[in-house]
This record gives sequence, structure tokens and C-alpha cells, in this order.
Amino acid sequence: MGRGTKVALIIVAVVLALVLGFYSYIKGTYNELVTLDEGVKASWAQVENQLQRRMDLIPNYVETVKGYARHEKEVFLKVTEARAKVAGAGSISKKIAANNELTATLGRLLLVVERYPALKANQNFIRLQDELAGTENRIAVERRRYNEAVRSYNVRIRKFPTIILAGIFGFTRAPFFEVPEEAKEPPKVKF
Amino acid sequence: MPLRGIRYWRVLPFLGLIFALLLTSPQAQALKFPRSVDAVNDFAEVISPDYEARMNQLSKTLWDQTGTALVVATFQDLGGESPDEFANRLYEAWGIGKRGEEKGILILVALKEKRIRIETGYGVEGILPDAKVGGIMDQYIIPFLRQGEFGEGLLNGMVALSQVVAKDAGVELDLDRYASKPAVQPKVKKGLPILSLLFLLFIVFGLLGRGMGFFPLFFFPFLFMGGGVRGMSGGFGGFSGGFGGFGGGMSGGGGATRGF
Repeated sequence: MGRGTKVALIIVAVVLALVLGFYSYIKGTYNELVTLDEGVKASWAQVENQLQRRMDLIPNYVETVKGYARHEKEVFLKVTEARAKVAGAGSISKKIAANNELTATLGRLLLVVERYPALKANQNFIRLQDELAGTENRIAVERRRYNEAVRSYNVRIRKFPTIILAGIFGFTRAPFFEVPEEAKEPPKVKF
Repeated sequence: MPLRGIRYWRVLPFLGLIFALLLTSPQAQALKFPRSVDAVNDFAEVISPDYEARMNQLSKTLWDQTGTALVVATFQDLGGESPDEFANRLYEAWGIGKRGEEKGILILVALKEKRIRIETGYGVEGILPDAKVGGIMDQYIIPFLRQGEFGEGLLNGMVALSQVVAKDAGVELDLDRYASKPAVQPKVKKGLPILSLLFLLFIVFGLLGRGMGFFPLFFFPFLFMGGGVRGMSGGFGGFSGGFGGFGGGMSGGGGATRGF
């Protein structure tokens, strides 16, 4: 074997090792991003299940409240409008915004309920109230898990050098399900 | 004499390791939650031993017969967290029910907050919808809690919940003996002393075995510790003949909350 052949062989081996290393890096990172991305999607599906559950509960709930508080028309209208908006929302960010609005109007409805003791003693209403409270809590739980998934995904795709691969393969940041401050606090009563 | 000196030096690192293990193990758990003791975890000490024994027995029976874990936890206060979130996190930290089946129920009582929450795992949401859980609390638990009868109220609620679970599983449970008659069974032995005993045994074996070439034995307790809080209680349930309902289950936040 001549000297030239030896050098050529070494170069080929080094290049091959580099290519293999590069390939396995891309493969590993890409597959990891796919796993994280699917995690975000799966937890969003869970969030949507619970949001839908709330959507289904609202008409029944509103009807029951109406039976005792017929003249609170403004609140009922607001809730119905907000619900319609949620139904019409397309993208995830729009759905999040619409649902936050619905949460706020439902908070106002709950305040109305407080003024009707007879309603609060109604067995059917107690059941619906339990279901609605349970659904709100489920939304909170799934929202927390979704946000955790989004956090680890976003952190991963924004770190160097993953950010380059994420750019090439089109992994973009997922939106957090943030709850606006006013929704966390009890709504103010207007006089 | 020199031999003796060497032996001392060989033991010292072990002691260090043991101390390190004892110091770090609480952190390895789910952060601020205490480790689960049994099906009934009366941290606030409001349930008499007699009731606690019956409640544990009921939970064990229900777990053995239906694979549904019914767990009770009482706390003096929740440190400012909402009962709903606390219950959900505790449920997940303890891993109530078997993973994949998610059949579990957690009854959480917070004394200072005067709140009781029943959290249902994914697997029992269908047979125990929120409204039903709320109804059971109103009917069977709250009246007793208002009078400070925690044992009676919680046992009553557990019986009501067990009825629903047993009916769905098509199992016949003799529930009357829990609700009416005073307990005759001895207190169910807790898993913890046995655990520490095993732990000690492992250490002794480890120390003895080192000279005889059984060195790896010493690492057994580490292997078990590594499993975290879930593996611990689940894995050792069989040894103590106790409750094995901590198997990594999860809850989606179903259930209901009441004040008392």
C-alpha cells in the first residue's frame, strides 16, 4: 500500500465518521423534537376535550339559572355570545383568547347566581354547579399539563444548536395557555 | 492492630453514604408532599385508630376486589394552596391507582381551610361524575364533619363510594360491617417499619458481605430508593400485606369540593 492510499483511506474514514456522527445527531434531535411536538399536541387535545365539555354544559346551566333569574338578560346574552365566539375560533391562540373571555363571562354569571338563594338550593342546579366546577378544575389541570409540555418543547427548540434544526424542519414555538389576570380574580360587581 | 484500623476506615464511608441517603431521600420524593403511609394518611390526626383501622381494611378490600384505590389524606393546612390543585398534585405525586387504568379516588381533608375534596382518577370519572361525588359528600360526609366526627363521616363516605365502585365492577362487598359494627380487626400493619427493617437488613448484609465478596448487595437499597415514592409504597405493599394502591395513577381534576 502506498503512502497516498493510506492518507486517502484515513480521510475517507474521518469523513465517514463525521457524516455518521452528523447523521445520528440530526436523527436524535429531530426525533426528540417530534416526540415533544406530539406531547404538546396530545396535551392540547386533552385541553380541548375539557373546553368542549364546558361548552356542552353551558346551555343547560344557563337554562336552569334563567328559571330563577329571568331578568338578568345582559349576563345570559354575554355568555351566549362568548360561547358562540369559542365555537367560531380557529387557531389555537384564537381558541385560547375566546375561552378566556368565556371564563370571564361565566365568572359574572356565577356572581349573579350568588344573589338567588332559592336557585342555590335547587337540587338540579347543585348538580350542574358541581359539573361546571369540576369541568373548570379539569380545564385548569389540563391547561397546566399543556403549559408544561409547551415549556419543555419551546425551551428545546430555542436552544443552540437545536434552533438551527428546528428552523430547517419548521418546528415553531407553541403558544402558552395563559390566563389573563382579570380572569383569576373574582369579577367586580357593577352598580 | 493495623487490621482493626483498616476495618474502621472501611466502615466510615458507608456511614457517610447512609447519612447522605437519609438526608437526601425526602428531597427525592415529590417535593413538599409527605410520603403516603397507607390507604388512610391521617396527617392532621383527626381520625381515631379504631376508625382508621376500619377505613384501611375497607380500602384494602376494595383494592383487592376491584383494583380501585380509595385513599384518604387529612392535613392540618395546605400552606395557602387551593384544595383543588393540592389534591390533583398529591394524587399524581402518590400515583394513586394502577398506571394505565387510573382507577383511584382521593379524599382530601384540609382542617384550617375547612374544605374537603374528593378527586377522581381518569378511570372512575365515568361511574363517579362530579355531581354524584358532590351528592355523596352532601349526604354522607358533610353532616358528620360539621360536628367534628371525621372518622364517622369519612368512613361513611368511603362506604358510599365503595358501593358505587363495587356495583360497577360486579363485586359483592360486605359493606355493612364497616358502617355499623365497631371494628374487631386489629390495626392494619403499616408498611414503613418493615421497610426500615429490610433497609437495615440490606445494610447489615452489605457490611458483612463486603469482606466476603457480596459487595453489590449493599447497593440494593439504593436500587429501591431510586424508584421514588411510587415504587416504594407499591413495591413493598406485598411484604406488609397492606394496601398496594399506589401504582402511578393520574387524575384529570375530576371530583368535587365542599366546605364544612
